[in-house]
Formats: sequence, structure tokens, C-alpha cells
Amino acid sequence: MDAPYAIEMVNITKRFPGIIANDNITLQLKRGEIHALLGENGAGKSTLMSVLFGLYQAEEGVIKKDGKEVKINDPNDANDLGIGMVHQHFKLVQCFTVLENIILGVETTKGGVLQMDEARKKVMDLSEKYGLQVDPDAKIEDITVGMQQRTEILKMLYRDNEILIFDEPTAVLTPQEIDELMQIMKNLRAEGKSILFITHKLNEIKAVADRVTVLRRGKYIGTVDVASTSKEEMSRMMVGRDVNMVVEKEPAKIGDTILKVENMTVASKVHANNAVKNVSFEVHEGEIVCIAGIDGNGQTELVYGLTGMEPLVDGKITLCGEDITKASIRQRSKLLSHIPEDRHKHGLVLDYPLEYNMVLQRYYQSEFTSKAGFLKRPAIRAYSERLEKEHDVRSGQGPVTIARAMSGGNQQKAIIAREIDKDHKLLVAVQPTRGLDVGAIEGVHRNLIKERDNGRAVLLISLELEEVMNVPDRILVMYEGEIVGELDPKKTTVEELGLYMAGAKRNVGVAAEGKEES
Amino acid sequence: MKQNKSLLKNPSFQAILTSLVCIILGLLIGFIVLLIINPAGAGEAITTILLNFLTRASGPAKMKALGNTLAKTAPLLMCALSICFCYKVGLFNIGAPGQYEAGACIGLYAALAWHCNWVVCLLLAAIAGAVVGAISGALKAYRNVNEVISGIMMNWIMLYLTNMVLTSKSVKDPTSPYTVKLSAGNPKALIPSAGLSSIFANNRTVTIAIPLAILFAILIWVILSKTKFGYELRATGFNKEAAKYAGMKEKQNIIITLAIGGALAGIGAAFLFLTGYQEWSTTQTSVPGMGFNGIAATFLGGLHPIGTIFASFFIQSITDGGALINKSVYPSQISDLISSIIIYLCGFVLFFKFALNNWIGKKDKGGPNVNDVPVTDDAAKTEGGDK
Amino acid sequence: MLLLLQYTIIFASVLCLVALGGCYSEHSGVINLGLEGIMVMGALGGAVTMFFLPAGTSKFVIVLATTLFAILVGMLYSCLLGVACINFKADQTLIGTAMNLLATAAATVFVRAMNSSINPDNVSSSIQYIQEKKAFLKYIGGFEFSWFMLMAVVLLVVAWFLLYKTKFGLRLMACGENPQAADSVGINVYKMRWAGVLISGFLGGLGGIVYITAGVSEWKFEMGVAGFGFLALAVMIFGQWKPTNIALAALLFGLFRALSNVYTGIPFLANMNIPSTVYNMLPYIISLIVLAFTSKNSRAPKAEGIPYDKGAR
Repeated sequence: MDAPYAIEMVNITKRFPGIIANDNITLQLKRGEIHALLGENGAGKSTLMSVLFGLYQAEEGVIKKDGKEVKINDPNDANDLGIGMVHQHFKLVQCFTVLENIILGVETTKGGVLQMDEARKKVMDLSEKYGLQVDPDAKIEDITVGMQQRTEILKMLYRDNEILIFDEPTAVLTPQEIDELMQIMKNLRAEGKSILFITHKLNEIKAVADRVTVLRRGKYIGTVDVASTSKEEMSRMMVGRDVNMVVEKEPAKIGDTILKVENMTVASKVHANNAVKNVSFEVHEGEIVCIAGIDGNGQTELVYGLTGMEPLVDGKITLCGEDITKASIRQRSKLLSHIPEDRHKHGLVLDYPLEYNMVLQRYYQSEFTSKAGFLKRPAIRAYSERLEKEHDVRSGQGPVTIARAMSGGNQQKAIIAREIDKDHKLLVAVQPTRGLDVGAIEGVHRNLIKERDNGRAVLLISLELEEVMNVPDRILVMYEGEIVGELDPKKTTVEELGLYMAGAKRNVGVAAEGKEES
Repeated sequence: MKQNKSLLKNPSFQAILTSLVCIILGLLIGFIVLLIINPAGAGEAITTILLNFLTRASGPAKMKALGNTLAKTAPLLMCALSICFCYKVGLFNIGAPGQYEAGACIGLYAALAWHCNWVVCLLLAAIAGAVVGAISGALKAYRNVNEVISGIMMNWIMLYLTNMVLTSKSVKDPTSPYTVKLSAGNPKALIPSAGLSSIFANNRTVTIAIPLAILFAILIWVILSKTKFGYELRATGFNKEAAKYAGMKEKQNIIITLAIGGALAGIGAAFLFLTGYQEWSTTQTSVPGMGFNGIAATFLGGLHPIGTIFASFFIQSITDGGALINKSVYPSQISDLISSIIIYLCGFVLFFKFALNNWIGKKDKGGPNVNDVPVTDDAAKTEGGDK
Repeated sequence: MLLLLQYTIIFASVLCLVALGGCYSEHSGVINLGLEGIMVMGALGGAVTMFFLPAGTSKFVIVLATTLFAILVGMLYSCLLGVACINFKADQTLIGTAMNLLATAAATVFVRAMNSSINPDNVSSSIQYIQEKKAFLKYIGGFEFSWFMLMAVVLLVVAWFLLYKTKFGLRLMACGENPQAADSVGINVYKMRWAGVLISGFLGGLGGIVYITAGVSEWKFEMGVAGFGFLALAVMIFGQWKPTNIALAALLFGLFRALSNVYTGIPFLANMNIPSTVYNMLPYIISLIVLAFTSKNSRAPKAEGIPYDKGAR
């Protein structure tokens, strides 16, 4: 019991086919500390936690509890060791009360009959002790996200968990709720609980954490004391790789305004707040504008609002001088091409052959459908073959290959080919290089720049810092549903960008004023 | 090995293979039941069920029996097409029996009360079915009511409504619970045979309904695979989100799909009752099995309109074959038993195909990603596996 | 009037039992469209038991044996749903439909084979149980009380207690609402769903035997159970998946069904001249309307109909 660490993960390596998700990572959580785990998307945080929870088995490395080596084969083992987690997406039964959710799985019973009074007393005691205000008899579906989160925390405490993991806990909270959560975490620490706090928000780390371990691209970067480390240093640890990717491009020849977004507000599907709050910006002919930001800061919803997949709560969108705020997806697609974020969910009908996917946005046009309503199969075939050739889309059987059987890179090439080839003035490309290898990424970037040079407006949504720094002519940083800064990629540094993305720095209003500069 | 794999990958081959497995297992279980009842004649009985009309003594008797089977295959095929069409768009049209009842109701009423000719009766039956289907569709699109539940409710509502409507004067035979025979009440409403009956030993129930049903199957196949409309509907069925992304009108498509499915089932009823094959019993208390057997034919036919032609004929043929076995030894419902076992096994077909495809294309799979921990890294993993 | 009351209560008992069966299954996350088939099988089990019990068997033994066998056969039959839909993730609609068709066919084949093996000239699909049926009845004045009515009330109370007051109920409902959440706190979702399906087999089987002994003393198995399984489904929906509401819905729909049987004997209703089909139709129409107006925020278990896959996260 005298070991200083409540839990230790030593030299953990976890590989997936073609990728090392965790490469020799060590994470040591002291008893009674708040330990932050910092890293970009895809840095390996989630994999590491999955190993800790027994969802994955690491190939190398050991896990120690109080200095003793333990084996964790499934989440129940983790539970038995006193490890609890507040998942990013809560695991609560909507129509149950707070109390029922807390006791689920560890019910106190007498001959099978629930003893709710005992449970209620214990929950109320815990609630008071840690300042976790909940109404035990309210149903989950009726309470705020903040209270739902407190319910999740109480679930861990009710199980007498000593090691508490918070996975991106502030993503769904309002600023006030975040302050409350920070206080709760401090209370928990004061009572001797050990907390692992997964985040990419530097301000929050500064506010509560004692130490921070930084991961980058699956590798362990280091563990430092928060108090003696500046935000800039942490940001550098998180993102600070050599930006050696070079994208060749001429200076932009900026023309007329193509897209004008004014005060756009879009509701969230995940939580009660708006995901996009009062956002305004413009994109011009011949420029690539990149919306940078960490995943989940409203980029997805911004694109949904722009392309017509979700209605706006408020605001106005003008495309080529035409008000398209209320226009249907089909109407917008006349001037707007959209490379979607999730190519499996939106971009492709995976069970359709490649040729049918190639005409997904154009099948109804007279080029591909006869007046009688029949598909012009030869035209579709020829069109598909042309696009495949021009964009080097490779597939087993050419146009008749079922999209599902193609590799991710070629699926993406097919989508890009389709969207670029169709008539459009604005290209919205959402994480177009997600999951692609280096060669394919270069190809995508070349295409985006060619688009720009052909006088189209390009709106790129990216999470990849190298891409953000190299491809666009202008960067807008999104944080918690707002645009918090406009940057010139030639003048800014990765560190500065990181500060904006992590919400540590903001420059409200730049979107409006910065226009003249650009 | 490689060839083997590509043959296994072929969806048509998969469909035929799995259907055959279901048929063989179903027949095997049926045979075992026959053996248990009476081992002596079991072999002969299962042969009779399988061969159906071929077991008849003379040539003309064979043709006549075949005619009967075909006459009942036509409505079954229409019901199967109804379910198949909707299933392709991601909707389970368990309401086909109700749409079928609506078709029977209006078709027979128009024939006997209004003395319409068969074309009008057929059209009205189609419209009635379409309306019932569209109700389920509208409830699904605008009120989020599952089409299976609303379909089941509609089945029973339409059953009783049909009984009530067809009990009225001049429609119902006063001396029996059945509707008046069309040959007596209104011969104009009988679907013409166009000489087909002479081929089948003057079996009057053999009408142009049979070739029409096959034409409908081909039509459905053409619509689904060759037209813009079918392209949209199937895209919606495969991936609703992608259909939305491509600007298709999902809600409207749901209603249209179920309305078309309803029309097909309504025509199915017309194809049975307007041939004079049988009359509607106004005292029946259970939903006609035709619509449910359509589910069997749909799944057995590998969810392909052309496949359902053969599957419908097979199911109708073993049903009729069941009626030919020695009734003092074996119950004729043995065929129902076999066909219902086949439907049950079809439930595993989807799993079997899924497992097969999963096994073949495991690396391309982008699994459904619901509420859980490793979201970001999982994506990396999936993509990494692509290489 | 007494007849109307009697029919209402016995039909309500059937509907209540079967709807509760559906309720357990759906709360665990499995849609049970095969209730009709399970009822047929339960009815078959019970009827065959009564048929084979020797003439002098005591009333108590008749009631016990018949009930037990109906339940047992119902539970066995529900395994078809469990295996296909829980373990093999088959389409629940397809399997339910297949089970309904299979039950009627199998029961008919069985009864016919049984009848003709006893008497080669008997090829009917009916089983008679005139004498044995009396064991279930007790006359209170003119009212024909059936022990099944009591069973229905007891099982209703048990269902309410089990679902809302015990650990089992809490866990069962968690599996139907959010199986991922249940799994994350160490509940075995597959086991709980099996429990839900087997209990629905228990109650469906019992409902089957109650139905075929209500009013008649002979049952023709070709008829299945004439849609009572589906009516029970409507009761469950109208009862919004809650035992107490289900009991009330069962009484209402039982009344409609009873009216369609006996309204000609009641002058007031006979004068209104509403055809019996209207009474038969009403429950379904009411359910459909209820669905149309509540399904946007329905109380239906949220995860019902979705096969649970532990692997898919």
C-alpha cells in the first residue's frame, strides 16, 4: 500500500494492423492527484484508456495497481480494481431516475427486492460530501447535461472507486457547468481520489491538474508538472512536430465573395446547447479557407448547416449572391460540392457499385437519366471510367466494384473526383485526408489547390495541424461553436494555433475586421 | 482458392445457395415429421409434396393441376413483390395482408355491387391497396410509427372492414358466408383467360393474371435496377444518410414505396378473387395467409423480384402438393409446416450472408459506431487496416 | 349482462397475460411478434394434457398439469425466438412472423396425426376437453368463475412487483433501454434478454390455454388463436408497456371482444345495430391512433428490436 502510484501503465504498446496506436507509453497516476492526459485527436488517448479498461489487450507492457501487477481482461476487472470512468457519451438509461441509474448493477437487495432507502441515503451522503447536486428522483431525460454528468460521477463514487477517469468531460458542458465540474474534481482530490483527466483544453489543465502526460501520434512525449510549465510549452509538446510538409502553391488570386455566412447558429444533437453559435465568415473565389479546431467544437454542425443537412436556428447563408438559407440540399448542390466528413455514413452508398456512387450527386441530370426516367447505364459507365482514370481511383473490377470492397483511400478519391467534377462554385471539404496515407494526402492537397487556382472557393475543415498550416490561404479557428480567431498561415506558428484551438487564446471579432487584411 | 472466393462473393450465387440450404433443411425437417407420423409412406408423401401436379394420373389432369397451382401463384407472387419491393427500400411491409384485404374488398365490391368490368375492378383494388399502404407510410414518415406495428394493426382493421363491406346485399351470397360467385354475379369482372385456359385442360381459373404477375415481377425488377426512381429508392434503403446527403426526399420516398407495395398486394387480391378461383368468406377471423406466405417467397427468392417468381411457384406448389398426399395418414398442413420452417430459417440467411460477406470483406468494414469509448482511435484503426 | 361481464373478464385475463408476456420481452429489448404462435403452442400443450389425463383425475391435478404443460410448451417454443434473435441477431419481424405460421401448421399437423393415430377415421384438427375444462370453473351464482382469472390477477401483481421493485426488473428494463449502459455496469445483456423472452413464452403459453378454455370446450387448431396474440400486442401498446395500464387496456379490449360475441343478447346494444366487426375492429383502430399521437415520445423501450452486439462499440 505504500507504493506512490494508484495505477501505473508501464511501457504499453498496442498495435492495430498498419498502425501503432500506443508505442511504449508510460502513465503513472499518483494517489490523490489530478493527472491530465493531453493529446490531439488520434494521439492514442482513447486506446490507452481502452487498454486500462480491458477492452483491448496490450501486446507489451504491464499495468500495476498499488505497485502490484494486475491483469485486466474486461471492464468488470477494471471495476473490481476500483477504476471508474465517466464516458464522453454518458452511459445512462434515459427513462430511469438518477438513483436507479446509480445503483444499476450494484443494487442492494433483500431477497431480490430493491432496498431503495439505503441506496438513497448513501447517494445523498456522497452528494453532500463532494458537492454533487442531483435530484435522485428525477429522470435522466428531464435533467441537464451537467446533472447527468454528476450522476455518472456518483455512479463511480457509489461503487467506491478510487481511480476516476474523466474522458473529455467538458465537451458537452456550458462554461458555468465547467466551473462546477472543476470544483467537484478538486473536492474529489481533497477526499483522496486519484483522477485521470483526458482533455485537449490547456486552460482546464492549468485550472485543476497537478501533472500532465502528453501523447503525440501514439508516442509518449513526457510527463511534466503543470504549475511549472507554461501553456505554450504544453502546446508545443502536444503539437510540436517539425512541420516539414511542403505544399507547392502560387499566391492566391482572390476574387469575388462566393459564400457569405452571417450569424449562423445550429443546434446540437448531442446536448441542449447550440453547437454553432452566431458564426459569420466569408469565402472568396480563388482562396482556400480552413476552419481549424479540435474535433467536436462545432465544425460538423457548421457544415451540416451550410450544406442543408440540418436547419439553422438562426442566421443567413448567401451563396453567389443567392440566399440559400432555406434551400434544399439538392438546390444547394447546384453550386456547392461537399466532401463529407464520414465517407461511409454520408459519402457513399457502400452497397452500390463504384459507377453508381460516381453519379450520386448527378444521377438525375439529363446526362444520366433519360426523359422516361431510365438510367443511361452506358453514360454512367463511361463517366465513371473517365473519373477513375483522371483521378487514379483503383478498384478490383473497375466501375462495377462494390464500393464496400474498395480501400479507404480509393473510396475517398472517388468522392473527391465526383465532387470536383460536378458543377460548383464552392467546395466544402471536411477532413478530406482523414485516414489516408502520405501519397494519397498529397494528391488530395494538389486537388484542393487546383480547385482554388481554377477560381473556385474552397472551405476546408481540418483537424490536422500540418494541413491547416500548409494548405489554406486563411485560417479560422473554431472553439466551442464560435470562431475565436482568424490567422494568416504564413505569419502564425503552430504554437499560436494550438493556443487558439485549445481555447487559451481568443480574438473575438476578428472574423469581421480581419476581412480587410486578407 | 481465388476463384472459389469470387464465386462466394457473387451475391446471386450466395442468394441461391442460401435459399437451397433453407429449402433442403425445411424439407428434411418435414420428412422427419412424416417419418414420425408413419414411416411407411413418408418417402412417397414427401415426393408427392415436391412433385405436386406431376403425380396426377393423366396428361390433362396434370395440366389442370398445374393450372390451379399457377392460378394461386399469381396472387402469391404479387404479395411477395409487394414485400420485396418495400424491403429493398429498407421497409418491412408486414402490412401486405391488409393491403391485400383492401384490394379484395374494393375489387369484389366493385365487381358485385357496381358491376364494373375487370379492368376497373383491378385498378380499384390497386388503389385501395395503395391507400392502405400509404397510411402506414405516412404514419412512418410523419408520426414515426414503425411500419411493422402499423401494418399489423391495419391487417386486422382491414380484415374486419372487408368482412363488413362484403356482407352487404347483392355482394354476399345469402345462403353461405361467401361472396356471390363472379360467374353468377358479374362475369364481366372475371379476368379474361385469353385462351390460356385451353392449354391447361380448360381450367377457367387460369387467366392472364399469371403472365401479368410475371410481367409485374419484371417491371419491379426494371424499376429497381434500371430507373432513376429505383436508384433513389435503393440508395435510401441501403443508406438513408447518404440518400439525404445526395438530396433525395426520404419521407416522400417512404410513402411512395409503401403505396406501391400496397398497390401490388391489392392487385394480388384481384388476381385471386377476380379469377373466380375462390370467394371471400365474410366470417373469416384470421388474416389471410397469402400476405404472410409472400414473406416466405420474398426471402426464399433471395429478395430479388425475379427470384420471387420461382420461390412463389415453389411455395404454392408444395402447398398444393400437400393437399395431394394421403389424408388419412398425413395432414396436408405438412406443407405449411415446411414453408414456415423455411421462413424461420430465412432469418438465419441474413446472418449467414452477413457472416460470409464479413468474412470476405472484413477489412473494408466501417463498423457502426455507437456510444462508446474509443471513437477517434477506432477510426484510425479502421483506416489503418485499409492498407 | 352477467354473460358480458364473464366474457369481458376472461378475455381480459387472456389479453392481460399475453400482453404482459410481450411487455417482459420488449422491456428486455426483443420485439415478440410471435406471441400469437406462442399462444397456439401453449394452447396445444394444455389441450393435449387435458386430453390424455385419465378420466378420474382430481380437479387439482388437472388444473396444475394443464397449466404447467401449457407454460412449458410456450417457453420451449419461445426459444426459437431467443436463439434466432438474441444469439443470431436475426430480423425480429421475420422470425416472429415465421413463428406464427409455424405454430398453427405444427399444431394442426400434430393434432391431426394424434387424432388419426388413435382413430384412423378421425382426421380433424380438434381436441375436445368438455369434462376436464370443468376443473377450471367454479360457479358463483350465475357467474362462471375460472381459476385462470385469479392467475391473471396474481401474475399481474407479480409483473408489477418484478418490474418495478426488484433488481431483476431494473436490470431487465436497462437492457431494453440502453444495453450498452447495462453492459458497462457488468450486466449480461444476452442473459437478461433470454430471461425476457422465456417469460414471454411462459405468459404467452398460459394465455393460450386460457383462451381456448374460455367459453368453448373444443378447439380446432387450424384456426390458430384467431389473432388474440396480435390483439395482445395492441393491448401492450395501448397500455404503454406498463403493467397497470396493460390491465386496464386488457379490460377495455376484452370488453370490445366480449361485446362482439354477446351484444345480440343485450337489447340496448342489439337495437343500436352495430355489426360485431366494429367491436372487433375498435381495439386496433384505438391502438393505431394512440401510436400516431404518442410515438414521437413513446414509452416503448428505446433499444427494442435492435440486436445487441457486444463487439459493436
